Amino acid sequence: MTTMQTKRNRPRRRVELFDIVNGLILGLIAIACIYPFVYIVAVALSDGKAVLQNQVFLWPVDINFETFAYILTNERLGVVRALLNSILYTVVGTIVAVVLTYLTAYALSKKRLPGGRIVMLLFIITWIFDAGIVPAYIVNSGLGLTNNWLIMVLPLAISTFLLIVTKSFIEAIPDELEESASLDGANDLQILRQIYLPLSTPVVATISIFYAVQTWNSFLWPLIYLRDTALQPIQVVLYRLLLGSNDQALNFQQTVSNGFLVIPENIRAATMLFAIVPVLLFYPYAQRYFSKGILVGAVKG
Amino acid sequence: MTNTVDIKGAAGATGRPRQGEPARPPQAAPGRPRQPRRTASLWRRMKAARWLYLMLVPGLIHLILFKLAPVSALVIAFQDFSTFLGIGGSPWVGFQNFIDFFNDPNIGRLVLNTLILAVLVLVVSFPIPILFALGLNEVRLRWFGKGVQTLSFVPYFVSSAVLVSIMYTLMSPNGGVVNSVITAFGGSPVSFFTEPEWFRPLYTTMHVWQNFGYSVIIYVAAMASIDPALYEAAELDGAGRWRKMFSVTLPGISTIISVLLILSVGQILTVDLDKILLMYNPSVYETADVIQTYVYRLAFASEGFPDYSYAAAVGLIQGLIAFVLVVATNRASERFSGSRVF
Repeated sequence: MTTMQTKRNRPRRRVELFDIVNGLILGLIAIACIYPFVYIVAVALSDGKAVLQNQVFLWPVDINFETFAYILTNERLGVVRALLNSILYTVVGTIVAVVLTYLTAYALSKKRLPGGRIVMLLFIITWIFDAGIVPAYIVNSGLGLTNNWLIMVLPLAISTFLLIVTKSFIEAIPDELEESASLDGANDLQILRQIYLPLSTPVVATISIFYAVQTWNSFLWPLIYLRDTALQPIQVVLYRLLLGSNDQALNFQQTVSNGFLVIPENIRAATMLFAIVPVLLFYPYAQRYFSKGILVGAVKG
Repeated sequence: MTNTVDIKGAAGATGRPRQGEPARPPQAAPGRPRQPRRTASLWRRMKAARWLYLMLVPGLIHLILFKLAPVSALVIAFQDFSTFLGIGGSPWVGFQNFIDFFNDPNIGRLVLNTLILAVLVLVVSFPIPILFALGLNEVRLRWFGKGVQTLSFVPYFVSSAVLVSIMYTLMSPNGGVVNSVITAFGGSPVSFFTEPEWFRPLYTTMHVWQNFGYSVIIYVAAMASIDPALYEAAELDGAGRWRKMFSVTLPGISTIISVLLILSVGQILTVDLDKILLMYNPSVYETADVIQTYVYRLAFASEGFPDYSYAAAVGLIQGLIAFVLVVATNRASERFSGSRVF
């Protein structure tokens, strides 16, 4: 990451006590951030008996894959269905959101567009003033979006924050490029495609990551709008697993599979892994572009 | 690159010529009355921008349906709304829902819980990333600093549903690692998620765990932009490590600290509804029930008929207070540092 590169290149100094203590504290915090995830992996792969007897701390005890096999073969749990739903929502949602945000940001970045500032102002006002979940529900259910997976795509398609980030990026591209193209008779659509889009890869990557993470992790909206369990994404199914015994479909105590005990703790841990792995796969890429997005979005001191 | 958008200038600006616009053709100007010429040129400008309007159409539809329509649907706060009658047919009740709110026996607990949680989160979660970034700035092994920062940012990407489930597993009375440690030291297992006094510490811990990596990135970037000459000058003056930290690094990031602080005050009413809904159950309502969760329960989790109008009224009060706070703190940030978010 660029932020660390400007470390001053000073001649090597003696390692002081301060460096050791500082390193230890930072290391411990980093471990504390990451340990819960390690623990979840251990629980997902352990025998349920070992979990119940408090033997699992860091490594899987009596390692086995029965929990995963159970999740993947038992449709009643709905985890596989939920994962496929989440993937669909995230892929479609991200594509729609990026296209809509980019087009809107491009149009609004052009000062010669009459009325553009009013539209931008409306985006900003509705961003600061949150009408709340109830009026949104009245509107969305009027549009037929309850128990309809498009609820995961359409209302989230433009985030005002990311619209501003994209618009600022486009505004920073020199006007001269556009002027010479329009002298050659190109229209705005051609200018966007041939001049702006190729230069916009960084901002498109940044907002794609933001939208993808936001859609994948979204919980409240599907909880309110997708009551039909067949439509629910992984986050909501995870919540239902957490509630456990209140839920008829997920009423699961324990089972023995190929000599290994599978308990609700195993099932939950394995489902969490399913919900995290896609995010972690993109993490190195996400971290880079997220940091950029944060710094663009952050106020300049 | 700047992301400031001029609100004040935007309102009255439609008739004014814009910056960077090509000069009007001179033949349109002479001899014609003022008003028609202006509209003609507006029409011409709009025609010239027809492709831009075409691009704006999807965004405009989105703005109307999903951002403006919910604001206008707030009128149900002044109605006794029923889904069968719709907004057009429901009877108007004036301010009755708002009067009801101030007479609601839950209001004291809700407001108190909202404020306590907000202040607790602010006080605990604000200083931590600053201290962490200061420590990170002193690390001389680059791979170590990078590694620590990378790990600390992971929870930010993980959903609240997963984080709460992880906490739940860690603290489960059936074999959770925290309770294992407690029993190993001779204590008796604690059922963290059903005891009201544990809700606030747990919520705050999760908030810090999930979010501090985000602020660390901003602070580390601010520290990286401090002029190295300042450190060299301080060293020549015989400043040690602590001296440099307090007299160069901290003043170097003081503006960004103030701005982030002002903005967090503006956001103070925005609780993480996802997280509370995931964590709470009737046994912790005493400390966990805040205004937004109350609105959620009224509208989506009530046993009888959902009271949409009352829920919308409570939401509207909260939304208005939050709006005023955000606008005021944004002004303060602008006055203080010349920078603002919108």
